[in-house]
Amino acid sequence: MNNRIKELRARHNLSQLELAQRVGVRRETIVFLEKSKYNPSLKLAYDISKVFALPIEEVFSFGDED
Amino acid sequence: MKKAIIIFIVGSMFLLSLLIWALNTRFTGNMGEILMVATLLIVGSYGIYVAFGRVKSSIRKEPFEDELSKRIMVKASSLTFYLSFYLWLFIMYISDKTKLETHTLIGAGILGMAIVFLLTWLGVRIYGLKNE
Repeated sequence: MNNRIKELRARHNLSQLELAQRVGVRRETIVFLEKSKYNPSLKLAYDISKVFALPIEEVFSFGDED
Repeated sequence: MKKAIIIFIVGSMFLLSLLIWALNTRFTGNMGEILMVATLLIVGSYGIYVAFGRVKSSIRKEPFEDELSKRIMVKASSLTFYLSFYLWLFIMYISDKTKLETHTLIGAGILGMAIVFLLTWLGVRIYGLKNE
């Protein structure tokens, strides 16, 4: 699973900690997500998309290897 | 808060046991003792690292645990459970070939499990939980 969290976070001028606080997770989780080392739960994916005011499929996508 | 109290109680009990053990043991400086002390120090350091992380999270007003940290713990625990079978099998194998007493072997097994847990926890954190 790929995501655009880093790019969108920069566009919205949000730090990792701010995003983490907004979606109720630890900063470490955002680090793992940005490095594509973790696939989030549907709820977390939904919450993150909501912060960026975008549909889930525009933030998260499945690559060929998935 | 409830969890922080449990961690504090467990940590205090660990340190107290370590102190009682240290006061009642005559150190001869053999390899087994050095290994045991090193293992305990590693396990103690891990505890301090976790406690430090919790304090940092509390300052940042982050949750102590979230879905990622829970999944890391579950994955590391299940791997430890699986790998511990091999560890105990190895201990059973060497029990006939060494002059070590049973309680020493059991102690080594328990400390070995702690080390296996630390290594799997570290491994899961390094490699991540992709496609889990």
